[in-house]
Amino acid sequence: MGSLLGDWPSFDPHNFSQLRPSDPSNPSKMTPVTYHPTHDRTIPPPNQVISSEAKNILLRHFYQRAEDKLRPKRAASELLTPEHRGKHPRASTSASNTPPC
Amino acid sequence: MSIWNYVVTAHKPTNVTHSCVGNFTGPQELNLIIAKCTRIEIHLLTPQGLQPMLDVPIYGRIATLELFRPHGEAQDLLFIATERYKFCVLQWDPEAAEVITRAMGDVSDRIGRPTDNGQIGIIDPDCRLIGLHLYDGLFKVIPFDNKGQLKEAFNIRLEELQVLDIKFLYGCPRPTIIVLYQDNKDARHVKTYEVALKDKDFVEGPWSQNNLDNGADLLIPVPPPLCGVLIIGEETIVYCSASAFKAIPIRPSITRAYGRVDADGSRYLLGDHAGLLHLLVITHEKEKVTGLKIELLGETSIASTISYLDNAFVYVGSSYGDSQLIKLNLHPDAKGSYVEVLERYVNLGPIVDFCVVDLERQGQGQVVTCSGAYKDGSLRIVRNGIGINEQASVELQGIKGMWSLRAATDDPYDTFLVVSFISETRILAMNLEDELEETEIEGFCSQVQTLFCHDAMYNQLVQVTSSSVRLISSTSRELQNEWNAPSGYSINVATANATQVLLATGGGHLVYLEIGDGILTEVKHAQLEYEVSCLDMNPIGENPNYSQLAAVGMWTDISVRLFSIPDMNLVTKENLGGEIIPRSVLLCSFEGISYLLCALGDGHLLNFLLNMSTGDLAIAKEGELTIGTIDDIQKLHIRSIPLGEHARRICHQEQTRTFAICSLKYNQSNSEEAEMHFIRLLDDQTFDFISTYPLDQYEYGCSILSCSFSDDFNVYYCVGTAYVMPEENEPSKGRILVFLVEDQKLQLIAEKETKGAVYSLNAFNGKLLAAINQKIQLYKWMLRDDGTHELQSECGHHGHILALYVQTRGDFIVVGDLMKSISLLIYKHEEGAIEERARDYNANWMSAVEILDDDIYLGAENNFNLFTVRKNSDGATDEERGRLEVVGEYHLGEFINRFRHGSLVMRLLDSDVGQIPTVIFGTVNGVIGVIASLPNEQYLFFEKLQSNLRKVIKGVGGLSHEQWRSFYNEKKTVDAKNFLDGDLIESFLDLGRIRMEEISKAMGASVEELMKRVEELTRLH
Repeated sequence: MGSLLGDWPSFDPHNFSQLRPSDPSNPSKMTPVTYHPTHDRTIPPPNQVISSEAKNILLRHFYQRAEDKLRPKRAASELLTPEHRGKHPRASTSASNTPPC
Repeated sequence: MSIWNYVVTAHKPTNVTHSCVGNFTGPQELNLIIAKCTRIEIHLLTPQGLQPMLDVPIYGRIATLELFRPHGEAQDLLFIATERYKFCVLQWDPEAAEVITRAMGDVSDRIGRPTDNGQIGIIDPDCRLIGLHLYDGLFKVIPFDNKGQLKEAFNIRLEELQVLDIKFLYGCPRPTIIVLYQDNKDARHVKTYEVALKDKDFVEGPWSQNNLDNGADLLIPVPPPLCGVLIIGEETIVYCSASAFKAIPIRPSITRAYGRVDADGSRYLLGDHAGLLHLLVITHEKEKVTGLKIELLGETSIASTISYLDNAFVYVGSSYGDSQLIKLNLHPDAKGSYVEVLERYVNLGPIVDFCVVDLERQGQGQVVTCSGAYKDGSLRIVRNGIGINEQASVELQGIKGMWSLRAATDDPYDTFLVVSFISETRILAMNLEDELEETEIEGFCSQVQTLFCHDAMYNQLVQVTSSSVRLISSTSRELQNEWNAPSGYSINVATANATQVLLATGGGHLVYLEIGDGILTEVKHAQLEYEVSCLDMNPIGENPNYSQLAAVGMWTDISVRLFSIPDMNLVTKENLGGEIIPRSVLLCSFEGISYLLCALGDGHLLNFLLNMSTGDLAIAKEGELTIGTIDDIQKLHIRSIPLGEHARRICHQEQTRTFAICSLKYNQSNSEEAEMHFIRLLDDQTFDFISTYPLDQYEYGCSILSCSFSDDFNVYYCVGTAYVMPEENEPSKGRILVFLVEDQKLQLIAEKETKGAVYSLNAFNGKLLAAINQKIQLYKWMLRDDGTHELQSECGHHGHILALYVQTRGDFIVVGDLMKSISLLIYKHEEGAIEERARDYNANWMSAVEILDDDIYLGAENNFNLFTVRKNSDGATDEERGRLEVVGEYHLGEFINRFRHGSLVMRLLDSDVGQIPTVIFGTVNGVIGVIASLPNEQYLFFEKLQSNLRKVIKGVGGLSHEQWRSFYNEKKTVDAKNFLDGDLIESFLDLGRIRMEEISKAMGASVEELMKRVEELTRLH
């Protein structure tokens, strides 16, 4: 047991070194100050107000498939890639067969 | 009319739901951050222990709390997601000491079925994305760009519909999640997926594992170099990675929380449902996992979260009991436990029931709660008043004054306590054993009364007696120098700071001395026209050791005066009026604003604003001086009565001075009869169990009531029960038990079998009204020929899904239904029948109801909303009269289990607030709150104040207060109406002067008036 317990990680060896345990029957009464921000930086920069992609997941899937279908016609040299890529929409195809919830 | 309601928190949430540790407030500072549902608390780890820094209200119920560090950041950021689909990324600005918002957003989808197993929010260990599982079948991704900025979120289809847990795996070239799920045959598996950010899709991951422990519920990702994942089941723990699979059996238990100990992920603390703490160790040779080991460390509160802090100290956050700071010892104690509990943090949650009583019969309500769950169940007595912890005491009579002094100027703590009596002065000190013992300082004059004492520069102490000022070395303890009052004059009052002494002798002589190293110098003398009653020279200027200002209170003309120091010129004089002399003056500053406080002999405290900006000091003539009486310091004081079992209902009986509770005890050792249910009788002073009535097997106590019946003087406890059979969906059998307390014992007087669970019992017109499954049933108390009594069914009312909560007023009955909101019934005496009068046609799932007045009823429901409905007696048609009109709606964000009329504070009927009716509520998170029905004029005033405060006090993380308080359920979201947020309104008092003035301008009312009106409201709780 000794080998498992012990050698506890330490960020700052001073932490808790002067802790005076309180009477266990008296719970700690330390309460922090309540924070009421009045500054303007509670609002992030405009580009960091995040929203979700507007396009529905199903529509996105259709568009993606349409693009994939179109691609081989453009250039033969790209043939390898679409074929390779063709594999993973399949997983989502089966997924889209399940009724949307 | 009780339409206009004010909701305020008397006791904040204490249920700890999340915790994490990291460098949030600075690169070198280690913080513990804990979430208590709607608040986060930031603590700093220090040599003295956990130091609370900030309590941050969040306008949402926290679903996820994670610290993370994007590349290039020196300190951690805090990610918070709320149950209403908002999220924010917070950062600490150490210079301004402010929490700022790095990013925020809305991650809700318009369609989607919210997950049954709660929301999951996770951050990729390499900070490439944030993953959220909020709706079945969807995994939402918020990607980071390479600068650590967040980008537009998108959904990925997740095939697994019954997801139990999702975590990111460490050490993967592409972000990879592991999903623990249950299939439609109830078997559990894990599966990995790579997140292809560009394609916005999943790619099959490197490995999966089928057919795990049926109770597998928790994933723990293991950091490098080992990587992989731990899958925690109820009977086995498995380590799994692409290349390894190791399993160990465990004693059957449900793991509720885990905390990683080592950065390399080789040790974990696991907390289970019974409060047992285990250490799980991954044994490995270099980077190859060789096995798992698990060791029992000891017992804690039942943990909801565990955070390893530093140097073997661990924080255990609990939802069911008090949270704890524990230490892991190398060697077991006498009971074999390696766990030492060093600190306890009160948690009242879950408050399942409570009652309001006046145990001390002082006219002040106390709340006695059924708190905690399982082995951590307890009763808590909550009352207003200050709690002082007695550290040491000595018996001394006739104390005239007391001062604390330091042994050296630089000491962090005071050492000496100087106690002055009418004809002597004694000195006490804490010795090494922390005991208070008498000591001696040779340089002190101990045969006379001391008028004043203070620490002085150069390791010196100052003692002022009626005849002299003595300067004493605190190291040698010897007298250094003495200033004697002129003969024939005695010193009446004196004050001092580290470098200055000011004293007044009879005849209105004011003398100013300065303290040097071993020397006292008389600098200035002034002659005033009257006697001096009090003095102060507390430095509030830039120099903390030297004051340029002295305050002097006067007899005869009843004035306070300010003198400049050292020249002793009169700066200003303020006549106080009246005949009460100033007894004490104090120069002080709060939040950078300087005040002169002046206490009068009759207990009044006057405060003056000081204008120190111009260099000349003057009492600012801004507005009238404010006169107020000081309220007693009000703070909730909580006493715990641990029960070791779960109390679920409580009731007080004044006549017998007892409480009765329904409780259940979990028997861990014996799996056959795992639960036992009791009715227990407790003394209302000692809280000892004095009598117990065990219920039958499978029989639960559901309701309890103290009441009396028509034509019977006895007061009874009535208990409603249900037989909860494993094979039944709803109980089909229950009992009503009627007990009399005789010789401190529960005597069963009558019993009546029912056709379902007795969810509620009420005294009603000298009869007993019970809510039994779908039915409301009225029982008469009948005398039989043999002189015994029995309950006899009189009439009833069908038509509820489950009638869970019932309140009555006169002949009216208000029923809170499981899912059909509130309905109003009436008892018709002549016909002996109960009929429905009106109902609210909304589909609210109720958790508590209360009657505010004849026409207004209050309800709480399971989406954490409050609402009020009004009886429409004047409606033109039957249809209108049959409809309860919704008049108030509000999102409280707390699950209320009980409302009770009453008050936590002494209500003085002659004051304005004494007239305001209040209802107390108790919640799952341990909140005790007050709902006060305000007069319309007050409501309108505070509504305006609230809307002005919204503009000044910003929501942390950019979250909107207006949105937070809007009534919200699956069907609708509407603005709050006819409820005010007292927590926001009362935070006006915490604002700085400038912000207060801003609001004062917008309100067209003076700051003083606003403060006065808000302070009045604070006296409601």
